Amino acid sequence: MNRLDRAFAALADPTRRGIVAHLARGEATVSDLVSRFSLTQPTISSHLKVLESAGLISRRRVAQSRPCRLETRPLKAVTDWLEQVQETWESSYQRLDALLIELKQAEKKERKK
Amino acid sequence: MKPAEVSLPSDTEVLIKRSFDAPVHLVWKAYTEPALMRRWLTAMPGWSMPVCEMTTHVGGKYRWRWRNNENGQEFGFTGEMLEVVLHSKIKHTQIYDPGDCEFGSMGGEPSVITVTFSEVNGITNVATLIKFASKADREAAMSTGMTDGMEMSYQALDGVLAA
Repeated sequence: MNRLDRAFAALADPTRRGIVAHLARGEATVSDLVSRFSLTQPTISSHLKVLESAGLISRRRVAQSRPCRLETRPLKAVTDWLEQVQETWESSYQRLDALLIELKQAEKKERKK
Repeated sequence: MKPAEVSLPSDTEVLIKRSFDAPVHLVWKAYTEPALMRRWLTAMPGWSMPVCEMTTHVGGKYRWRWRNNENGQEFGFTGEMLEVVLHSKIKHTQIYDPGDCEFGSMGGEPSVITVTFSEVNGITNVATLIKFASKADREAAMSTGMTDGMEMSYQALDGVLAA
């Protein structure tokens, strides 16, 4: 699996997305996350391991705790791609909007006849 | 109408949702009649759609092909209709034919596209679910469309997180 693939797999889980959203606001320790998500310490730790191996978070050592912080680079790859998909479809859909206005008017005219 | 929303319901899928200010029978027409499809289903600005063979018969084959107006390069999609429910659902396979374009491969196995239509008070909601044959195929499609230089947007991040 390459990096983007691991990032997608890691983000497929709602709890991990929640953790990522939480870390977007700033660093947090495992015990912060345990109390925030009401999950056991081993559960949180296993989610963090997945996020870490996907390169989505990094952890540093401070005394006994290892605060986690969000790494934005892999997320940027995901969001760039989504943005591009969105732009491509939206530009087609805007042409469809215009076409539908035409079709509605044509139908109105047809009814008046 | 609100701009299209893109999300990732699973690790092999991409979901695109959009609403249109028109009754479903007109949206359906625009999705199934080649003369109308050509008007909006163009891939990118500067491209035309010289081939647009469409069918709404289950088991029938469709063929779409685009051409770059400037250099004449072509690419396309082909596939087979798996399920068609009038004014409600079109499900088909999709195989990417890179033609002479250098977009890279989009994965060998066909993906399955399900388009569902539902009308509420004259507004038609369209959901397009693209299911790739594997994670690797979605990955291939992804690296094909990749560009760089875009700034990280927290709005887009919210989209991923809310998916």
